[in-house]
Amino acid sequence: MKALTANRLIDGDVVFWKSGQWVEGFGDADLFDDPEAAEAAEGQAKSQPTVVIDPYLIDLIESDGLWAPLSYRERIRALGPTNHPTHGKQAVGGDVVEALLHADGAARSSGRVNLIKRK
Amino acid sequence: MYQYDAVDQEFVADRAREFREQVARRLSGELSEDQFKTLRLMNGLYLQLHAYMLRIAIPYGSLNGRQMRRLAHIGRTYDRGYGHFTTRQNLQFHWIKLRDAPDILDQLAEVDMHAIQTSGNCIRNVTSDPYAGATAEELDDPRVWSEAIRQWSSLHPEFSFLPRKFKIAITAAPKDRTAAKVHDIGLMIRRGRDGQLGFEVIVGGGLGRTPYVGPTIAEFLPANRLFSYLEAILRVYNRHGRRDNIYKARIKILVAALGAEEFARQVAEEWAKIGPEGDLPDTELARIRGAFATTVFDALPAHSEVFEAAKAADPALARFARNNLRPHKKPGYTIVEVSLKTIGETPGDATSDQMDVIADLAERYGQDDIRVTHEQNLVLPHVRLDDVPEVFAQLQAAGLASANVNLISDIIACPGLDYCALANARAIPVAQQIAQTFADPDRAEAIGELKIKISGCINACGHHHVGHIGILGVDKKGEEFYQLTLGGSGAEDAAVGKMLGPALPYDKVASAIDTLVEVYLRERHEGERFLDTYRRTGVEPFKEAVYADAH
Repeated sequence: MKALTANRLIDGDVVFWKSGQWVEGFGDADLFDDPEAAEAAEGQAKSQPTVVIDPYLIDLIESDGLWAPLSYRERIRALGPTNHPTHGKQAVGGDVVEALLHADGAARSSGRVNLIKRK
Repeated sequence: MYQYDAVDQEFVADRAREFREQVARRLSGELSEDQFKTLRLMNGLYLQLHAYMLRIAIPYGSLNGRQMRRLAHIGRTYDRGYGHFTTRQNLQFHWIKLRDAPDILDQLAEVDMHAIQTSGNCIRNVTSDPYAGATAEELDDPRVWSEAIRQWSSLHPEFSFLPRKFKIAITAAPKDRTAAKVHDIGLMIRRGRDGQLGFEVIVGGGLGRTPYVGPTIAEFLPANRLFSYLEAILRVYNRHGRRDNIYKARIKILVAALGAEEFARQVAEEWAKIGPEGDLPDTELARIRGAFATTVFDALPAHSEVFEAAKAADPALARFARNNLRPHKKPGYTIVEVSLKTIGETPGDATSDQMDVIADLAERYGQDDIRVTHEQNLVLPHVRLDDVPEVFAQLQAAGLASANVNLISDIIACPGLDYCALANARAIPVAQQIAQTFADPDRAEAIGELKIKISGCINACGHHHVGHIGILGVDKKGEEFYQLTLGGSGAEDAAVGKMLGPALPYDKVASAIDTLVEVYLRERHEGERFLDTYRRTGVEPFKEAVYADAH
């Protein structure tokens, strides 16, 4: 299972793909179990350079009966920083946030390593 | 401090106007992200995990109350009510929106600030001694030279597209509070036998993937020849630096490859070609020096009855005085270090309200002078001893009175994976756990000076290589692990730490630090710091204890 994510150009906020639009909560994102559909969405997203920056697909795992990003970096993006639980998207709480908080998985991003270019 | 003239003010205002146009062109699609990225980085604007990050220059860590108050206002209006002071004496905001960035640069320009030289492959903001102009130890005021280098290097056409970023540190005291030996260039002001002022020039130090303590290439460079010599160093680097490989592009790699002697020879050859024409005219240096000579001190007795009585009555003030006050060059004054390492808080963070308090204290009690240290604390460099009880009370009320400067809970930590797009692991929560482990102030004082520095990746913004105990976050098969190094120092006795052993999981780091401290307390001789004991005993007793515990 995959989701499509990016940072929004105008404010840098983490956003997720939903039916051709971008939403702020991971819980509202489209989930792709069909790789072709995921890649098609990614292609469409890349044609929106004045809306988002560097859209990419992320891998998901099951957590608490819901889906959560596999990589720890992506869970931090979807939640917010761990030193400020009231900052970022985690502040709203709810089942999806809980599922993300309880998920286990790789620390590195599954999709964004190409962004690690220079400081 | 240095006051902008009309030319300086117009320069930063122009820059803000230019960036407003660039943002508009990006939003309209006229500029691609690749084209725009270079431009935004030249104004300190990065894209991180959750938002844009704006890194604001605080040249040589020096600012006044009005500027600090403006930073507080920006934090409150455009961020989440706080900012993060960095190991390069700058300030970062972590929740910035691109649409607000032009307004923020305008606001900064109004108070003679900007975000130039905080990113990109240029000469970055110069690091200097946060006690400059206040400590009796210094041979000259390093801010004068730092400011001259700032003016010389800002948008220098030849040095704006170097092979990689370039960092200079200047110190004028035997006690190095700038980490000069691990900068691209470290300048240590020296006095020659004939009384002449000069610089020891250290080139090719650095941290990151390949850490080096820089070698000295000139033992004594006459002060008036500094700028032609800097130009020669940068020209050799610009010519031969490894532009083909980002990991080998810093000057340290070139110096190590050529050898210090050959590098020095090439610099000398270039220097001879440039000649004294490349130096700063004495009149210009005098103009800059004049800007720093405005601080006027009253003639006060060395002893303050008010301060001594308050200390005797309040053990918390006495502890603060022991750990956070430093001798001032003038009788009756002291240097007050304000710790941004309150136990359980994020190292280097200050809320907007706290910034306002610091601004008020500086204006009322501290000659309107504030410094940022590379260890992520703040300094009020000129406070009368008589005023210390009141300053302490106001710091206490603002949650800024932690009496832990240079102690084990005074930890440097980079933002790590909680914010940074480069990080592999978190640094902040590790620092918080360690600080909480050593929250007992009596125990912390009994342990004495111990510098822990944490980075969330090999780029080493948290200076882990030069921590007495260094901690590097790594990704090990998808989990956060932490490599410990011992014996590093970023001070005048600079050294790169040695790895202790296999990396430890996230939840074992604080207890491993506790074990290391217990070994130190067991092994130490009278008067030894952790670093001294480690240097005497070597790694074995520490290694044995940590990994015995781990198994």
